Amino acid sequence: MFRLAVKSVKHNPKRLILTAIAVALGVSLVAATFTFTNSLSSGFHALFSEIYAGTDVIVEADPDAASDPDPNSQFQGTDAILSPEDVAAVSAIDGVAVAGGSLQVNGTVLPKDSGTNSGFGGGGAPSQIFNWSDEPRLSNSTIVEGRALQSDGEILLDIDSLSKLDYAIGDTVTIATDLGTKDFTLVGTIRFGENNSLQGATLAFVSDAAAHTMADTPNYQSIAVIADDGVSPASLIDPITEVIPNGTRAITGEEKANEQSDSLDSILSYINIFAIAFALISLFVGAYIIVNTFRIIVTQRTREFGLLRAIGATGKQIRRMILLEALVVALVASTIGIIAGYLLALAATSLLGLVIGDVFGALTLPLTAVGWSYALGLLVTLGAAIVPAIHASNISPMAALREAATESKKPLGRRNVVGSAMFLLGLVSVFVGLYASLEKPFIYVGVGAVLLILGTTLLAAQVLVPLAYALRGALTTMFRIDGKLAANNIRREPRRSANTAAALMIGVMLLALTATFTESLKSVITSEFQAITAQFIVVGSQGDVPQAAMDEIAEVDGVKSVIRLATNNVELVDTTGTINDPDGTAPTEFDASSADADTVDQGFNFHTDPAFSEIGDGVFIGTDLQALGLKVGDSVTLKGDASTQDLKITGVYKDDDSPGFFMDWSTATDLFSEVPIQQGLVVLNDGVDVDATQQVIEDALHDDYPLVILQQPSELVQIVNQIINMILGFISALLLTALLIALLGVANTLLLSVTERTREIGLLRAVGLKKSSIWRMITIESMVMALFGTVLGMILGVGLGSALVLSLKDQGFDGVAIPWVALVIYTVLAAIAGVLAAIWPAWRASRMDILQAIAADG
Amino acid sequence: MTQMGEEMGAFPHVQPVPASATLNSPITQENEMTATPTTAIAASMRGGYKDYGHGDAAVRALNGVNVDIAKGEFTAIMGPSGSGKSTLLHTLAGLDRLTAGESTIAGIVITSLSEAQVTQVRRDTLGFVFQSFNLIPSLTARENITLPLDIAGTKADPAWFDEIITILGLGDRLKHLPAELSGGQQQRVAVARALVSRPAIIFADEPSGNLDSKSGAELLTFMKRAVKEFGQTIVMVTHDPTAASYADRILFLEDGHFVDEMREPTAERVLDRMKQMGH
Repeated sequence: MFRLAVKSVKHNPKRLILTAIAVALGVSLVAATFTFTNSLSSGFHALFSEIYAGTDVIVEADPDAASDPDPNSQFQGTDAILSPEDVAAVSAIDGVAVAGGSLQVNGTVLPKDSGTNSGFGGGGAPSQIFNWSDEPRLSNSTIVEGRALQSDGEILLDIDSLSKLDYAIGDTVTIATDLGTKDFTLVGTIRFGENNSLQGATLAFVSDAAAHTMADTPNYQSIAVIADDGVSPASLIDPITEVIPNGTRAITGEEKANEQSDSLDSILSYINIFAIAFALISLFVGAYIIVNTFRIIVTQRTREFGLLRAIGATGKQIRRMILLEALVVALVASTIGIIAGYLLALAATSLLGLVIGDVFGALTLPLTAVGWSYALGLLVTLGAAIVPAIHASNISPMAALREAATESKKPLGRRNVVGSAMFLLGLVSVFVGLYASLEKPFIYVGVGAVLLILGTTLLAAQVLVPLAYALRGALTTMFRIDGKLAANNIRREPRRSANTAAALMIGVMLLALTATFTESLKSVITSEFQAITAQFIVVGSQGDVPQAAMDEIAEVDGVKSVIRLATNNVELVDTTGTINDPDGTAPTEFDASSADADTVDQGFNFHTDPAFSEIGDGVFIGTDLQALGLKVGDSVTLKGDASTQDLKITGVYKDDDSPGFFMDWSTATDLFSEVPIQQGLVVLNDGVDVDATQQVIEDALHDDYPLVILQQPSELVQIVNQIINMILGFISALLLTALLIALLGVANTLLLSVTERTREIGLLRAVGLKKSSIWRMITIESMVMALFGTVLGMILGVGLGSALVLSLKDQGFDGVAIPWVALVIYTVLAAIAGVLAAIWPAWRASRMDILQAIAADG
Repeated sequence: MTQMGEEMGAFPHVQPVPASATLNSPITQENEMTATPTTAIAASMRGGYKDYGHGDAAVRALNGVNVDIAKGEFTAIMGPSGSGKSTLLHTLAGLDRLTAGESTIAGIVITSLSEAQVTQVRRDTLGFVFQSFNLIPSLTARENITLPLDIAGTKADPAWFDEIITILGLGDRLKHLPAELSGGQQQRVAVARALVSRPAIIFADEPSGNLDSKSGAELLTFMKRAVKEFGQTIVMVTHDPTAASYADRILFLEDGHFVDEMREPTAERVLDRMKQMGH
């Protein structure tokens, strides 16, 4: 039977080509992502190994003990908590050959002749600025040209950045930090490791003293230790741990490299899961095509199966044979998909390599990629072929003796009942997931969405019959006989047409859902920014805004006031009010948001009662604290890192999504040792020219604070909208595979039904229908199916998107915005796609030989 | 044949078949054949009724058929269209079920078997030749011939296979796909396929119906040789007097039951008899 299955696939591969392409496309998505992330992983693994190659032991802040652990930030400096005395203590340990403190400066190397402070990024490349160590064993970098540092005003740059930033030895290089800018003289170039593979970052070294000045600390972030010859790094861990301060740890270089690789891999694994999710969507759509293809093939081969049954094949053998055919298709398609995926990853890495530099390691196809690809390909294909295979196994031997081979005309009754049940169940599941606040709500929503899709697919057949009937009149008027025939064809096989349209529906639904969500998000953000009445928002491109920068802005002519905004963490120690917390699970740590109360109302419309300026020495409470039972008039005892204060609740915050405490800036500075300015607002006097003043402020900031960015709220809205559009574009691109597969499905269904209708088309041609009419008939059929699927998808997508947005009301969504422009575009594209999908089938149908078509056997 | 015997043991309603051993010996069979008709029964039907449709639309295709098909004989069933001859063939062969009555194949009462069991009886004891669409388009002639054996999971007896294809003149056609064969060749491949598993009975439904007279005559001659030389039992349905004249025995069917029988027929005698029936 296996031979018969293989032979059958080989004998008529045309009817399975589009099916195989559909599976291959879905599979290639998985293979490409896995290969891509694998290459990225091995590239960074090589980098981490290189970074810690020469170092035996590293002393650093213990990520488990740090107040805000951020193990994923590879390039961000952590708090410098290791003093020079600690370095000396480690150096004195027996077995330690050398120990050197390492300090990374949080700043940016500016390109030559720049220093612009507009736009995110501050105009600088991602930079790694370190203190230079004269001990060659402690440095992974070697000097290529020029000389080592001799004074605190000198700097070294890596060789690739030299050309990238347009510098030459002898030039003045500017580094921008939170504290301002500092000029250095470039005295030499260095190469990092063997190949200077820095994954696109700029590496710079300054003297120890300069680094301490710029980082504003006498301490180091880490200590690199080289062991004496013959001393194992691991044996140094214990003696070093004894001398280093609390909250730090000692770890071998090898372990550190592995740790960093592992944390990166865990991020990359999320990308893989993301890819599998989208591949599953694509393959789910592909499954529709597979079902349709095998259904049609089974119908076409009714006599063949009847004959096999007559000469003694059992129903089980027939079923197994169809599944074997599906297996052959799946194996071939998955293999092609894996190869295509690898090539896709190759193209992507080469392309990205040109843009962001050599970030990637060797491009190898990981075993997991092969495993997942085959697993998904086989699972989907075989799963989708099961129903048609069961159909085939029920064909009676008498079928071999009947002349015509058409799908039996079963009424749609059962299909409608099952479809309605699935649709309703799906609807309930989605709403339970969205509103019942259960654990893991996304499972309910996901299952509900799948049920909705399946239910709609089943019901669509019922909708198509009257729809085609209704369209018949319109199409006949518009296209005469061609239109009438097309409408009849759609009505004739409602199941097949519905399944085909539904495949397209899924992709469009997800697009419409995303578009609805992002459109609503945009409107939320626009209205959020409308609360800002200040003319400028001030942010730091690499962290907080320095106080001195705010002071400088306040000095500029025309500036009425500057408002500082910050958030710290505070502990709620006690309260005179009652806390409604029966389980004892209420948090004790809360956000403490602070602002300049005397001026804040000029620049920002906080939804507080009373106005923020009335806050005085008290605190306002957010929604979470109100929910716990605290109210105006209660007193709270708050503990910051600087002091503990008894404060009176004098107002509440009315917005839905604002948690924690709100207080005046002065209250915050009492509670906390440091209140970093996260954002500033600048309010101008009435009648002052906004653009001109922006220029004045930017000029004033240019030299000392190039990392501080001034933005008008409307510009920010634009930037945020651009980011949202990018996300929408990215998701659309990923859904493109699913849409492409769905279009293949339309072409596939038409192609198979054209073959099936060979005789009929021959007859039509014989009685005088022109080739162009045949072409038009099939194109109309295709367009109707494509548009039907698109409209269904848009209805479902906008519906689900609206439900999602409304369920997120607590998160600040105030209403559903329907993406009309996108919907119109989808409709136009669907019509075009319908025309495109009809090309091959229509070409096949129109060039059929009349006599042959009439003589065709079944 | 021994395998068949084992298979038959698995079914409940097995009736012992007298002189079944003689089937193994074509020569004995041939001697018996040419002399007198054997009394051994290959297939039978008792009180066979077949209705199609329900209520007012009901049509009675078989109306109390009683028939015995003798072993080693070439039996033709004739009748005007609508007489029920195809229905008779289908129900005798277990392709379709009787509404009432009992039919047996090689002593097995198939009317009381399940669908799966009937399928197994077909696989192990029957061969088929249809009027058209006899071959699987994706398989070569050779693969089509051995298909019943492949389905059963057994191997062809090479000597027997060679003998069949030599007699049928298919030696140089084995690697061709059905689409590359002439109509006559296709039907010969179908006959070869029916013969290859040495079935107890071959059922043929208008095997020469789609062929020109020369190819048709060739095919029927091969079928007759199979009966004479190998003792093969064949039941053929036809409405063509010339085709029927190749048979040893003709049964005439009208309105769902037998009306006459003819032995050692000629085309002229058959034609005359058909004219009497009003055709």
